[in-house]
Amino acid sequence: MMKAWFGDGGFRVSAMVAVLAVTIGFAVQYMIGTGVPVFHWPYNALFVAVFAALLLVFGVLFRNNTFVLWIGGIPFGLSLIFAIAFLSLIGGVIPQDGQVAGSLPGRLGMNRIFSGWPFLLVVLLFLCNLGLSVVWKTVPFRFSNLQFMLFHGGFWIVLACGLAGASDLQRVIIPVYEGRESSRAYIPHENRMMQLPFSVFLEDFSIEEYSPQIVLYDPQNDRVMSGRQGRETEVRIGYKASWPGFQVEVLDYMPHAIPDSSGTPRRTGKSEGIPYAKVRIVAEGTRVERWLNTGSPFIRPGVVQLDRYFLVMFPGSPKVFRSGVVLTGAGGRKTVDLEVNKPAAYAGWKLYQMGYDEKAGRWSQLSLIEAVRDPWLPAVYCGFIMIMAGNALFFWKGIKRRETV
Amino acid sequence: MTLSDFPPVAFTAMAFWAIGSLLRLSSRRRPLLAYASYGIMVAGALLLGWFIAAYWHTLERPPLRTLGETRLWYAAFIPVVGFLVELRWKIAWLKYYCMALAAFFLSINLAHPDVFDKALMPALQSAWFVPHVIVYLVGYVLLAASSAAAWHNIISVFRSGADRLGYAVSHYLALLGFVLLTFGLVFGALWAKEAWGHYWTWDPKETWAFISWLAYLGYLHLSAHGTGRDKLQWYLALSFLVLLVCWFGVNYMPSAQNSVHSYQPN
Ligand code: HEM
Repeated sequence: MMKAWFGDGGFRVSAMVAVLAVTIGFAVQYMIGTGVPVFHWPYNALFVAVFAALLLVFGVLFRNNTFVLWIGGIPFGLSLIFAIAFLSLIGGVIPQDGQVAGSLPGRLGMNRIFSGWPFLLVVLLFLCNLGLSVVWKTVPFRFSNLQFMLFHGGFWIVLACGLAGASDLQRVIIPVYEGRESSRAYIPHENRMMQLPFSVFLEDFSIEEYSPQIVLYDPQNDRVMSGRQGRETEVRIGYKASWPGFQVEVLDYMPHAIPDSSGTPRRTGKSEGIPYAKVRIVAEGTRVERWLNTGSPFIRPGVVQLDRYFLVMFPGSPKVFRSGVVLTGAGGRKTVDLEVNKPAAYAGWKLYQMGYDEKAGRWSQLSLIEAVRDPWLPAVYCGFIMIMAGNALFFWKGIKRRETV
Repeated sequence: MTLSDFPPVAFTAMAFWAIGSLLRLSSRRRPLLAYASYGIMVAGALLLGWFIAAYWHTLERPPLRTLGETRLWYAAFIPVVGFLVELRWKIAWLKYYCMALAAFFLSINLAHPDVFDKALMPALQSAWFVPHVIVYLVGYVLLAASSAAAWHNIISVFRSGADRLGYAVSHYLALLGFVLLTFGLVFGALWAKEAWGHYWTWDPKETWAFISWLAYLGYLHLSAHGTGRDKLQWYLALSFLVLLVCWFGVNYMPSAQNSVHSYQPN
C-alpha cells in the first residue's frame, strides 16, 4: 500500500498533496481572515534551528523509509515548485497591498499572498523537501555533490531565513529639514512614529541635475515634442534643434544665472542660479532672439510663444541627490554623505537617501532618509553566496559537458 | 553615434545576415564560399556591437535603460549564440532562427525609435547596473535560443523522428540560461539592498522574475527525473512565454501600478 502510493516517485500523491496544501491554506485564510502570525527574535530563530535539526535527524535516521524518501524526492519537490509558482502568479497579477477588503480575493488573502496561509504551508512543505534532499547529499560528504549542496543548501537558507527574519526587519523613514536635527522616524505600515536610538542632523541637502532640455509644448493637447537635434545633444552654445517649420539655435548659455534689475541674466553661484539660454528662432524668413529659462519657485520660467505652441526649457532630471548628515548616538559622532545607491551604516542600522520634497525639486529643504535594520541579513547573504558558488560550478558543468543528454 | 545613425546600421546588419545566409545555403561543396558567408554573418553582429559601443560613448551611460536599448543588445547577442552552437555542436540550423529573431528585434526598434536621452536616474547609477542587466540579457538570449531549438525539435520529430543532438542543444542552452537567470536574480537582490534598503519586496517585476526562474527550475528537475525528451521540448518551447511576460508583459499587469522598476522612463 505504502509503496504503491509513495514508492518510486509517487507523482500522483505529490500533486494531490500540493493541491491540498494550497486548498487548506486558502480555507484557513478564509476562516481566520488574517495572515500568518509573526514570531520575533528569538522565537523565529529557535523555530528555524529546531526545524533544521529535525530535518537532519529524520534525513539521517529514516533515509530508507518510503514515506520520508517521498517527502524528500523530486516528484514532491516539483509539485511544490509548481504550487509556489502558482501562488506567485496570483501575487504577480493581483496588486499586492491593494485595498480589496470584503471581496472574495481579499478574504482569501490574495492581495497579501506572500504573507498568507497558502504560501506559508506550501513553503514549509517545500523546505522539508529541499532540506531532506540536502541532508542526503551532504551525509556522507562527497566532493562530487558540492554543487548540489551549495545551490540547494543556499536556497534553503535564503528561503527559511528570509521568511522567518521578515518579522525582525525594521524599515522606517526619517524626515529631516536642512539645519535641523531629528531622532524620530515614521513607520509606514503601522502609520505611527517611533523614537530612534540615534539622531540625524541634516547639514546640507543638494540636488544636481542633468542639462536642461528645449522642447515644444502644445497646451491644447498637453503634449511635449522634442525636436530633431544636430550633433550636439546637450543644451549649450551651438546647440541646434528643429521642428517642422522652424529651427532653434542656442547663442549663449549660462547653467547658473539670475536676472538683474533690468531683467538681463547674470551668472551666479550654483545654489541660487538657474539655467538661461539665449536662442535664435528662425522661421520662414523671420528670426528672433530671446532668453529662455527653466524657472524656479522665485523666477518665472522664460518661454517663447510660437502660434499655439510654446518653446520651453525644462530643467533636467535629477542626477544626484545628496544629504550631508551628522549622526550622533551610541555609535559616537559620524559625518556622512548619503546618496541613492550609497547608504551608510551606523550602530546596526543602515541609512539610505530615499527622497525629498519633489514639488520643490532642487529647492527642497526636506530630505527623507530611510533607516533599515535587518539582523537576519548575514544569514541570507550567506545563502546568496552559496547559491552563487553552486551556480558557478553548475555553469562550469554546463559548458564542459558536450556529449548528448 | 546617435539614433539618427541607427537605421542605416540596422539595415546593413540585416542585409549582412540575409546575404550570408543565402551564400551559406548555396555553398554546399565550396568551402571558400562557406567561409566567406560566415565572415559576412559575423560582420553583421560585429557591426551592431560596434554601434552599441559608439552609442554608449555618446550617451555617456550604458545603453541599457530602455526596452529599446536592451533590444539592441539582444539583436547583437542572439546571432552569436547561434554561431557558438554551430562551432561547438556542429548544428547549423539554430543560427538562422537566431538571425531571424535578431532582425525582428531590430525591426521593432526601427518602427518605434527611442528618444535620445542621456539621463540616468540616481537609482541606476550603481556598479550593479551593468552586471545585473547584462547577465539577464545573456540569460534571456540563451533561453530564447533554447526555445527556438525546442520548436525546431518539435517540428523535426513530426517530420523525421527524434534527433539526440537537437535535444542536447535545447537542454544545455536552457541549463546555461538558468544559471544566468540565477545570477541575475541574486545580483538584482544585492543591488536592491543597496538602492532601496531591502533585497526582496515582492515587487511585480521581482515576482515575475521569480516565476520565470521557477519555470526553469521545474524544467531542470523534470529533466533530472527522466521525463520524456519529447514532452520536455514542449515545456521549453512554452516556458519562454513566461519570460516574455516578465520582460515586457509586467507593465500591463494590474499589479504593476506600484512597481518600482519602471523600465520605460515616463
Ligand atoms: C529578481 C528580481 C530583480 C531585482 C531584485 C532587480 C533589481 C533591480 C534594481 C535594484 C534595479 C535598479 C533600479 C530600477 O529598477 O530602476 C534594476 C534595474 C533593471 N533591471 Fe532588475 N531586478 C530584478 C529582475 C530583473 C529582471 C527579470 C530583468 C529582466 C529583463 C531586469 C532587468 C533590469 C533592467 C533592464 C534594469 C534597468 C532598467 C531601468 O530601470 O530603466 N531586472 N533591477
